[in-house]
Order: sequence, then structure tokens, then C-alpha cells
Amino acid sequence: MHILLLLHLTILFVFPPLLLGIIGKTKAFFAGRIGPPLLQPYFDIFKLMHKESVYSVTTNWIFMAAPMVSTAAILAAGTLMPLADFKPPIQFWGDMVLFVYLFALARFVIVLAALDTGSSLEGMGASREATFGCLSEITMFLNLTILALLSRSLSLSEIFLGGLSSSWLQVGPVLILVVVSFFLILLVENSRVPIDDPETHLELTMIHEVIVLDHSGIDLAYVLYGKAVKLFLFASMLVSVIITFRVHDFLIDTAFFFFELIVFAVLIGIVESTMARLRLNKVPYLLFSAFIFSIFGFTVILVRGGH
Amino acid sequence: MALLLISLSILIISSLLILLFCRSKEISACVFLWSLVAACGFGLWSALSVLCQKAMSLPLTGVDFRVHGTIPLGEFYIGIDALSAFFLLLFFILSLAAGIYGYGYLRDYTGQRNTGVHFALYHLLIIVITLVLVAKNAVLFLVAWEIMTFVSYFLITFYNESESVRKAGYLYLISTHVGVFCLLVMFLIMGAQAGSMNFDQMTATQFPLALAALLFMLAFVGFGIKAGFIPFHIWLPHAHPAAPTHISALLSGVVVKLGIYGLMRVMAIVKDFPLWCGVLLLIMAAISGVGGVLYALGQHEIKKLLAYHSIENIGIITLGLGIGMIGHAYHQETVAFIGYAGALLHTFNHAVFKGLLFLSAGSVIHCTHTGDMDHMGGLFKLLPWTGHLFLIGSLSICGLPLFNGFISEWLVYRALLEGVFHLDVFGIIFSSLAIVALALVGGLAALCFTKAFGVIFLGSNKSSEGHQGKEGRLSNIDIKEGDLMLRGPMILLAAICLWGGLFPANMVYFAFQGTQAITGLQIPFVLKEAVINPLLSATRVLSFGGVIFSVLALVRDFLVLHYPVRLTETWSCGYVKLSHRMQYTASSFARPILKIFRSALVFRVEGKISKEYFPAWTSLKSSVKDVSESLLFRPLFYVIKKFSRKLKWIQSGHTQTYILYVFLFLVILLVWKLI
Amino acid sequence: MNVWLDAILILVVILGLFIVASTRLGTMIKIFSWQSLLLGCVPFLMYAQNMEFYIIIVSLVAIVLRGLIMPYFLFWAIRHVSIRTEIRPFIGLGATLLLSGLSIVSSFLLASKLVFPISISSDMLIPSSFSLIIMGFLLLVGRTKAISQVVGYLVLENGIFLFAILLLRKMPLLVEMGILLDLFIAAVVMGIVVNHISAEFNNTDTTALATLKD
Repeated sequence: MHILLLLHLTILFVFPPLLLGIIGKTKAFFAGRIGPPLLQPYFDIFKLMHKESVYSVTTNWIFMAAPMVSTAAILAAGTLMPLADFKPPIQFWGDMVLFVYLFALARFVIVLAALDTGSSLEGMGASREATFGCLSEITMFLNLTILALLSRSLSLSEIFLGGLSSSWLQVGPVLILVVVSFFLILLVENSRVPIDDPETHLELTMIHEVIVLDHSGIDLAYVLYGKAVKLFLFASMLVSVIITFRVHDFLIDTAFFFFELIVFAVLIGIVESTMARLRLNKVPYLLFSAFIFSIFGFTVILVRGGH
Repeated sequence: MALLLISLSILIISSLLILLFCRSKEISACVFLWSLVAACGFGLWSALSVLCQKAMSLPLTGVDFRVHGTIPLGEFYIGIDALSAFFLLLFFILSLAAGIYGYGYLRDYTGQRNTGVHFALYHLLIIVITLVLVAKNAVLFLVAWEIMTFVSYFLITFYNESESVRKAGYLYLISTHVGVFCLLVMFLIMGAQAGSMNFDQMTATQFPLALAALLFMLAFVGFGIKAGFIPFHIWLPHAHPAAPTHISALLSGVVVKLGIYGLMRVMAIVKDFPLWCGVLLLIMAAISGVGGVLYALGQHEIKKLLAYHSIENIGIITLGLGIGMIGHAYHQETVAFIGYAGALLHTFNHAVFKGLLFLSAGSVIHCTHTGDMDHMGGLFKLLPWTGHLFLIGSLSICGLPLFNGFISEWLVYRALLEGVFHLDVFGIIFSSLAIVALALVGGLAALCFTKAFGVIFLGSNKSSEGHQGKEGRLSNIDIKEGDLMLRGPMILLAAICLWGGLFPANMVYFAFQGTQAITGLQIPFVLKEAVINPLLSATRVLSFGGVIFSVLALVRDFLVLHYPVRLTETWSCGYVKLSHRMQYTASSFARPILKIFRSALVFRVEGKISKEYFPAWTSLKSSVKDVSESLLFRPLFYVIKKFSRKLKWIQSGHTQTYILYVFLFLVILLVWKLI
Repeated sequence: MNVWLDAILILVVILGLFIVASTRLGTMIKIFSWQSLLLGCVPFLMYAQNMEFYIIIVSLVAIVLRGLIMPYFLFWAIRHVSIRTEIRPFIGLGATLLLSGLSIVSSFLLASKLVFPISISSDMLIPSSFSLIIMGFLLLVGRTKAISQVVGYLVLENGIFLFAILLLRKMPLLVEMGILLDLFIAAVVMGIVVNHISAEFNNTDTTALATLKD
């Protein structure tokens, strides 16, 4: 049993940057390039660890602690999330609230770190990040409520480990709505393309990249790593909602799960290569649509009595 | 009970002593401090003993004390049950902290007013609030409630030379009196139904549902004005900034909470309400929560921002109460228990962290002599203690894990999610609506406090006027951290915030005790376990996070030692001359979200944006206007004013005429009695 | 339960949302055309067990008229008056979106309370048609450009068509007439409005009509 928990943690700690690598490779493929190697994010993190750190004289300890706090919070949220057939190390009734709030904590400290530098550009990014974060949080909660209602459970591990298997047969089309809404939230929360461009670094319309403009060296490495883990957690959540099918063979299930994740990363890469970034003032509409999708699905489920 | 009586008598005697010695500032302050500590100590002891002792048995009447026939229509009948004890607990903690802070705050006060009188009034306020909390007789309750309103009015208007302070005081006085009228009617109906003004008999009486609905509406308006539900909140954002800091803390932490206490007391008395009452409460709670935090986002004045946040938190508390009532109406006791417990716990937590925030905001204002956040910035280096304490307060109020706000918000979420499981479609719609509202409130609160903390303490100073040296930053000489008398109470409150977040079991347990007093039912042991155990698991997640954090910190320390570290200016992204005034201000930080919610509130940006290439002068001002004030109350007051002008002829100014009125009234009474 | 029917109905409503949320007239018309094509498939799915000739005819007419010919005319109109985007709607985009979300929720809750004399193959049919009607109204009320108003009208018509499908078996001719009449009216309204406004005021902004009052 302990071996399994250890495996869960190992996957949680080691796997995430690979997703970023796959996305990068896909984008390079669509652009007709060879692209960086799959393990590039690992190399980046390793490289940053050996770099000089530069701190602004304006900053306080908050600036230095924020990357660590946010990464720790995101990893702690990861202990609640089932991966493939691995039960999470900790599970309890109502852990989904903690899950969302840990992400909120991560965002809170990063925003504070951005304000700590006193730079107007970072203030701008901080304001946007907090704004969109607060709008995506409501949809996140609504989606989790729907999933809880369908699987009659308040614990992430029970929801994602089989709680939803019968729901696809009952209310399949509605669950698609929830999935779409989740996907939009994923794009917003992880600052992927239609909302934000993770490639650019100096543009006034961007959100997440500008917040960590002043971070360097090991701090930036932590930020990058935390971002990868966050994407990984959201992706595995979405994958667990979509594919509830299990063959009950441990190895096959696990392999299948990783395959799904990789397909998912490729999908994100395709979305990024084929779409242009939205204008900033359109992003709230995207968030509203995600909210409406979710509320639409919820209404249908309520009327159907599928719960 | 004896302990509480000791505490009360200490307060009475010492307030008399303070008045006696009020010529000498030192003696009165000294008496104030020690009597406060002693009285609050005894009070806390009594409250805790009740909360702990009830663990074994359920007889819900606590230890009582009654003196017959001292008040007309009633008796001096007080008693502590678990509900009173829970509120007493938070009240004594906060009044102790605020009192010590007030002592430190007013010690170097050199104005005209007599601080002794202020201290005596403070003691008086503690006495009457205690009476409100322990009164078991409606008449005693109302009398104490009235005196409390007056005493707090005098405390609010401490700086009464300023016009705005007097206005705020009047507004407070008038609006709470409207509330008292409703309460009077409510208690009279209850008394008539029960045949006694004692709460015991009222609790034993069965109220018909229609009457219960009427009572609920009266209580909702009457206590809602005190609690600051959104259409009735107009006094709140004016009174809080006007009062001295420690009084604002007490006002926001306790006086506002008495509205919640009143509602809970009415629920304990009437018990069965129609379903729509709970739904109404839930909807009003959602409006108060979201509205309060949205208005808070638009404020630049720190105390006003905190005042609007009180409305938001009252909204969260009331969400818990509302889902509790709905659960009770559906006979789903699980939902009801968790909802009430969440409401109670959030009441306690809000009192603690809001007290902390007000006190630290007071320290900031004390040092910078301004409340305008856009003129602050970079105070973290100058006021490290205040900064850290404010940070703890902000993290708690946003309900982030590790701090006590999370525990109570988790309970409210839990109640709402249980509501989604256990209720029918109608109930599910409202609980999920409330979940969305609560999530929105949480997100907006985080936005608001990153703004407040970031703009006040981080970055560099934005001020262009006043306390600036030549080099454009605050001179360190006139900004000093307060001494232990100011810091101590804040540290106490911050410690409670952290303790409540890391070791939640005790407070949740106390909240369940209070819930038993509200519902009059024994909470099954299984349910308590089902609530407390997940919270302990949550602590495990957090400690895991802590382990990761320390590993990361160790790695970082190691690397920082081995690789070079450089200090420079903030990177200006290639711009040549960055000035401190180019930082993001409070208004600009909140602008995107306010633009999104523009249609929900009146949000205005004034000023002219210059189109020339080298503008000499340009100005921009954004403000958020309170809709209920201008759309609801101004027309109402206008109508009332017009109507009362018509009646003005009655007031002739001659004493003789007034005597005639009195005489006529007596004659009418006589005739009426004869018929 | 017919999963495909459900999926199509949800898709139709979501396409309605997209129409409401877009400002580009071309996009609006394209999405409208997709929506109409999907709606044309609904009768096939609903009456799949006992397909009859007139049902096929009605569906085909609906698909061709709404899905192909109307969009063609609308595109022609856009080219004719050379307007691309809705610049200043009366009701903002975000507000329209949230209102349509509200309309979806309320129509579903309303429809769950209604009792119908005939049995309906999917309980999502009525609420979807309600929400389409309300979205059409929102477009009619909230937009200023004549063409987006025409699209709004057509979305509303789509909603009514969805409702009418229920009656297809009882009175097929009526439904057919209804379709043709609706389209005729839409075409006429569009023609008159677009031509006259652009002739008189040199643009197709219906706010210009306000100058006609007294």
C-alpha cells in the first residue's frame, strides 16, 4: 500500500514538466520546426537552478517566499487528486473545497509577490490574474458541485475513481458541457493560448508571464515547476472526467491514463497552434461562457433528475 | 455564572472609579487597563466553563441568576446557555484586545477631550453588551440593546469636532432606532403568544407558521439593520471610519455580530419557520456577500474598505444561517447542524481577524496620518510588525488554508454541498446558487485583500504630498512601529487566527455546542466526527505542504549560497525613468473587475484624459457609489421629510401649547379607559 | 432516452449562445446556418421509427431554406451594405450572455413544470425552443444593426420551428406553411429594412430610425 502512495507522489513530482515538453513539441510540429527536445522543461528548470538570482531592492521576503509557498500549495493539492488507479495519499469528505482553496492560496501569494516589486507592469498582470482567477473559481466550484451531485460524493478520489462511470450513460451530452467548461477553465487557469500566450514575455496584454517578470534563478525554476504541476493536475482531472472506463488491470489502466494525458497535451498544443490569442477584453466573455455551459448542464441534470 | 457576575461587578466598580479619577489621566488609564484585564479574564473563564461543561449533558438552560421584579413588566433574569457563551467568548477576547489597544492608542493623546470618560463608557459598553448576550428576558434585552446603541454612539463620536463624524453618528443612531422599533413589536407579539416576556416560556411556546413568518420578517429588519444586510447597511460604512480604531474593531467585531446573535436567538425561540424564510435569508446573504465585497473593492479608504468587508462576512455568516434554516424546514438536520455551526464559527473567526485588521489598519493610519491607500505603499519595511499582522489578517479573511477563515468557510461550503445532496430540486437550486455566491465572494475577497495589502505595504511609497522627504520616499523618522500596548493585542488576535486554522477541533466543537442551543436538539456524535475528522485530514494536507515548503526552502538556501545573488532596481522593462507614482494603485488594481460588474453597481471614472502628446495636467478619479443609499434611502427620506413638514404646525414653540398637548393626551387616555 | 437528440438540442442552444456572443455579422450568419442545419435533422431523429414522406419533405425544406438560402441572402445583404460588425449594441455582450444563460435556466425550470397533452420524445425539446425564442428576443432588443436584428428574428423563428416539430404529425401542412410564411416575412422585412435604411440614411443602423419620431 505504501508503495502505491509513494508511486503516486513520484508521478506527481516527476511527470508534470513532461506535459509542457509535449505541448512544445506539438506546437513546433505545427510550425514546421523540429522544436526543443521533449525533456526541455526539465533542462530549463535545471539550468535556472544554477543561475544567478537577482532581487529588486524594493522587495521583501514575500517576493522570495511566494514561489515556494505557491509550489508547495499546488503540490499539497496534488495529494488529494487520484492519478490513474492510484488512490491519493489523503482523502476526506469535502476535500474538493480544500483543493480549490489551495490553488487560491498559490495565486494569492504570487499576486502579492508581483505587487512586491512595485513595478507597474507586474501590478497590471497581478490585477488581471486575480480578476480572471476569481471568475474561473466560481465555474470551478459549480463544475465540482455537478460532479459531486452525479457521483454522490464530496471527495475527489471517490468522484474520479469510478463515481462518474454510470453518469456518462445517463447524462452523457450534459457531461460534455461540463467537460467543455472545465477545459475553458483549464486554459484560463494555466494561461494557455486563447487567453494568454505563455511564449511571449513582454507584451502588455499578457497575464501570467508578466507576474513573474522579476523572478530569476531558483525562484523562477520553482514558478515554472509549480505551473507544470498545476497544468498536470488540471489535465488529469479533466482526463478522469472524460474517460471513466477501466479494465481493472493495474498496469494497463495506468498506461492508458498516461496515454490519455499525452493525447491531452497534444490537444492543447493543437489548440495553441491553431488559435490566436483573444483580445484581453474578450476574456471575461470566455469565462462567462464557461460559467453558462456549466450552469446549462446543471439545469438539465436537475430537470432530468439524473442525480 | 458567579464568574460572570464578578466580572460585571468589577466593570461597574471600576467604571465608577475611572469617572471619579478622570481628572488624572494616569490613574484612570491604569484602573481601566487592569480592571479590563481582570473582567475579561473572569468573563472568558465563565464562557469557557459553560462551553466545556455542556459536553456531557444536554439540559440547555445554563446556570441562571434572577432577581424578581426589578424591571417593570419583567425581571432581572440572566443566564448563560451555550449560544450566549459562544458569543461571550468572542466578545471578551475582542474587547480585551481592543481595550488594551485603545489604552495604548489614547495614552499619548493630547487633545481636549477627557479620555477617562471614554474609558468609562467603554466599560459601560462591555457591561451592556454582556447583558444583551445573557439576558433571558425580552424587556431586559431591549433595555440593554437601547443603552448599547447610545453608548456606542458616544464612543463612535469621540472625534466629535468633525462634521462627518457627527453625521455618521446620527446616521447610526437613527437607523438602529428603526430596527429597535421592529424588535419591540416582535418581542411584544412573542410575549403575547407565550404569556410571558421570559425567553424560557417563549421557547416552550409553539408558534403557528404564519406568525413565525411575521416574526421572522420583523427580526430580519430589526436585527438586519444592526448586522448590516445589504439594503439596510447604510450606517455601517460611515460609522466605522468615523470611530477611533479600537471602537471600529469592537463595532465590526461585536456590535454588528449582535444582529446575528439576535437572529439566532429568535431561531432558538421560534424554531419552525416556513421554507421561504430560509430562502429569503439565503438570497439576502448572497446579495450582501457579493455586494459588500464589490463595494469594498471600490474603496480607497482603508477603514471604509474594511467596513464593507464586514458586510461581506455577515453575508457569509448568513449563508450558513440560511442553509441551516432551509435544512431545518426540510427536516434535514445534518444540513441544519453544519450550516448553523458554520455560521457560528465564522462569526467568531470574523470577529478575530476583522479585529486584527482594524487594529493594524489603525496603526497604519496612526503612523501615516492618512487613510487613503493610494498615498501609502512600501510600509512593510517601515512597519514590519503591523505588516506581518495585517498579512495574517488578510490571509484569514480570504479564507485561505492555514488560517481560521478557511475552517469556517469550509463548514459553510460543506453545509451547502450537503444541501445539494439531501434536499429536493428547489433546495438544490438555492444551495448551488449559494455555493456560486460563496465562491465568488471568496475570489473577490482575495482580489480585494491582495489589493489592500499590496498597495499599503508592498512596492514603494506612492505619496506625492505630506510626509515625504526630498528624495520622494517617506522619511523613516516620523514612521515608528507602535509599542507593546499596540502590538500585543494584535499578536494575540493573530495567534488565535493561526491556532484556529491549524487546530480547528476545539472551536468547531464549541460551535456545535452553540448549534445545540439554537436547535434545541442533541447533535449525534457521528456527525461531529464526520465534520471534525475531515478538518484534521485537511491539517495533514497542510502539514504535507509545509514539509514540501521546507524542502524547497532548504534547496533554495543551498543554491543561493553557492550561486551569486545580486540586488538591483526593479526591472523596468526597458523604460528609462520609472517613478514611484507609476505603480499600480488601488483604483487601477480593482478596475478590471469593477468594469465587469459595472452594471451591478454604480461605478464612475471622472477626470479628463488628455489627448495631447505632452500633457501638462491631467486628472483621473474613480469612485464607487453605493446604490442602496442613493436609490433606496434618499427617496425614502425625502418622502418622510415632506410628510413630516406637513405636521410641523404641531410644534409651535410655545411651552404653553405643549402643556396643552400633555393635558389633552391625558384626557383622551382617561376617556378611553372609561369607555 | 435519445442521446443523439439530446446532443443536437444542446448543440443548438449552444450555437444560439455563440450567435448572441458574437459581434461579427458574418460569424453570426454562419453559426445561424449551422444551427438551422442541425435543427433540420431533429425531425429525422424524432420520428426515426415511423418515418413518413411529408416529414422528410418538411425537414428538407427547412434545411435548404434556413440552412442554405437564408444565409446566402444575408451574406448578400452584408456585401450589399458593406457592414461587418455590430459596433455598439444596446445591451453589452457580457450582459446579453449572462441574460441568455439565465433564460436557459429559467426555460428549463419552467418547462419542467408545464404539462403537455401530447407525449414528447425528449424533455429537452420544449426548453430548448423556449431558450432559442428568448435569445432571439434578446438579439432583437439588444442590437442596433438591422442585419443582426434579422438574425435575431430568425433565431426566434428557429425556436418556434423547434416547437412546431412537435405538431408535425398532427398538422404537417400548418407547420410547412408556418415555415414558408416565416421565411417570407423574414426576407421581406430584411429586404425592406436593409434597402430603405441604407437608401435613406446611408447606413443600416436602426438607431437612425429614432430620428423619425415626431
